[in-house]
Amino acid sequence: MAVIKKRYGATDGWINMPDGTVHYIFGFCDITDVPENEVFSYRGKATLLAPLLEVYEGDEIYLTLTNLGFPQRPDLDDTHTIHWHGFPNQISLWDGVPEASISVPVGRNFEYYYEPLDPGTYMYHCHFEPVEHIQMGMVGPLIVRPLIEKDPDYTGRKFAYNDISTEYDREAIIFVTEMDARPHHLVANVQVFDWTDYCPQYWMINGRAYPDTVKPPNDPSFPSQPYSAYIEGFTDEKVLLRFVNLGFENHSIQITGIPFKVIGLDAKQLKGLNGEDLSQWRNAVYVAPGQTVDAIITLPDAGKYILYNRSLQRNTNNGIPSGGMMTEINVLEV
Amino acid sequence: MAVINLWAKQGYMSTPDGQSIYFWGYSKGAAEPAQLPGPPIIVKQGEAVTINLTNNLPEPVSVFLPGQTGVKVGSQFVKPQYSGGNLISFVNYASSNGGTVSYTFTPTRPGTYIYESGTNPHKQVLLGLYGGIVVRPEDYDENTSRTAYGSGTDTEFDREYLIIFSEIDPSLHQAVIEGKPYMISKHHPRYWTMNGRCAPDTMLPDNAPYLPSQPYGAMVMAEPTEKVLIRYIGAGIDSHPLHPHGNHTRIIAMDGRLLKNGARDRSFKRFTVLVGPGQTYDQIFQWTGLGYTLDNPIPTIIPNRRNLGIGEAGWTMWSGSPYLGEKGEIPEGVVSFNEVGEYHFMLHSHSEPKITNWGAFPGGMMTMISIYPTGFLSPDVGVLSQPVGKE
Repeated sequence: MAVIKKRYGATDGWINMPDGTVHYIFGFCDITDVPENEVFSYRGKATLLAPLLEVYEGDEIYLTLTNLGFPQRPDLDDTHTIHWHGFPNQISLWDGVPEASISVPVGRNFEYYYEPLDPGTYMYHCHFEPVEHIQMGMVGPLIVRPLIEKDPDYTGRKFAYNDISTEYDREAIIFVTEMDARPHHLVANVQVFDWTDYCPQYWMINGRAYPDTVKPPNDPSFPSQPYSAYIEGFTDEKVLLRFVNLGFENHSIQITGIPFKVIGLDAKQLKGLNGEDLSQWRNAVYVAPGQTVDAIITLPDAGKYILYNRSLQRNTNNGIPSGGMMTEINVLEV
Repeated sequence: MAVINLWAKQGYMSTPDGQSIYFWGYSKGAAEPAQLPGPPIIVKQGEAVTINLTNNLPEPVSVFLPGQTGVKVGSQFVKPQYSGGNLISFVNYASSNGGTVSYTFTPTRPGTYIYESGTNPHKQVLLGLYGGIVVRPEDYDENTSRTAYGSGTDTEFDREYLIIFSEIDPSLHQAVIEGKPYMISKHHPRYWTMNGRCAPDTMLPDNAPYLPSQPYGAMVMAEPTEKVLIRYIGAGIDSHPLHPHGNHTRIIAMDGRLLKNGARDRSFKRFTVLVGPGQTYDQIFQWTGLGYTLDNPIPTIIPNRRNLGIGEAGWTMWSGSPYLGEKGEIPEGVVSFNEVGEYHFMLHSHSEPKITNWGAFPGGMMTMISIYPTGFLSPDVGVLSQPVGKE
């Protein structure tokens, strides 16, 4: 098993929406192996989503969190944490709940330790004043890969869980969030917001709203939104969609003409206690805040297919269609 | 025969930010205050139950029992009630200002259920007229056979907790006091409750004297490897994604129905359970955490405590040590509510605005699962018992 050392910085930044608006965020950035005297240059470079944390079952992970502070809000000296959401059997010190463990003040470091024993799709987020810090963008995807991929009999093949029925050819993260632009604006301007008035105008996949979702990863026009949600593959290929919801609303996701085989919920393969197959076919994946869903789609005939939110008002950018929580799947002929 | 006596009354509940909110609730005695939620009703499968309701409120009130069959008033099955051609109640009711009604039924299946007013329910249930029912399996024995659904159903437990969720829009409650109209379609909650309390009051003990109308805590306490049965009830009109830290829960039943088809086990594990309005979930949580012994092998270096954020506004629930059952140094000026080096794992709605009290974190639908060192907890922690005058 590998020993993985990572270092993330907590800081602030700005994101773009397709309607030309710019919004203040909090977030994380990857500063692994950055020399100490250059770490400071990452202030203000938070990304939405936060960096993907990707490990194998049984790895040992040392994750250092460095609080870089908020250059846009130097007065705001909030502490931060990392909470590995859904991590089974965690001791509370690394659980990231400041009320029940510790948090990291500006300019300080803390090293979290994890030994994941279960494969699946998870997420991580800051748990300090979580209503504010999650909405502001301190959220990231986390994948634990199954050991079966290291079995010589299965070299080069990909599986969601330790079960050959969960094999796939390609994978995509469908990480859904919403944004109410008002608190983002108010926080940037040292004002308070009543969170019970939360009412978003933007809906995102992987930190972007459509049509930006279909643009490539690391597109220079979105320096703080490195993830794409565009999916491409060949007819008959199996694509594993890893749904994560770290918004505050329930979302029902559909794809025009492609059903889902749901094989995992909340990082657990859908199997009964005695191995019963509990996988299910769905035409919509309904996912609540804090849930994850693993679903496999088999790519049909060549063509374009739209992945969209069945709460149709969420396929808009500040009220204007088409936008929001949508992306495209391009199926190519073999 | 179990006889449960309930009174419908008005009262005031407290929120941690200092509000006092008018509500309607069931009480367990003629001289007892209205309470939120109503007293849990704990009965046995196959045992006849009578619920006597006395209504001290200014409009008709009932006890509606979703999930129970064959409920009768007198010799007749309960039936919808109309006034001037309008449906005003799902079931027979007690008239306003002193009316009474008696319901009888025999629970045929074990599980977790809700009871609530079926009269103007869009108003009365939101005002607080709800509570939980636990039906024990026929072969249940507190000492020898603690199961949720009977022996042989893989539902054994060591301790159990009932957590009932709801929402509060203070403007509805104010409108009722003032006799003003209220549009339920404009419902906009500002508080979210577990067992009638908002965090951090959820973590206070049962029967805390300063919460006379909210007698039930929502803290889950257990020891490592114990099987903890957590019974969720969604008593409001919104759905809530409830997320326990520390481990998944295994959902064994929904709506009082065991998740099993013959020999096929349909239970499943989740780290976030979406509890819809009127739904119930029975689930087993087990904490088998890495490193709960003092000599555990997990590499841990805690930096200088002065370099860390500890707790919130001078308090913490942390022991100062990474290890279970061990206490460490807490910086001066920080109060630790940790008893014996136990771990605290948050259990909360992941729709995060709902863990605020009118927008201020921490609050709302949030509590802790507390894992104590083996042998610390007394056996009567996490034992549900009938609080009402059951005859």
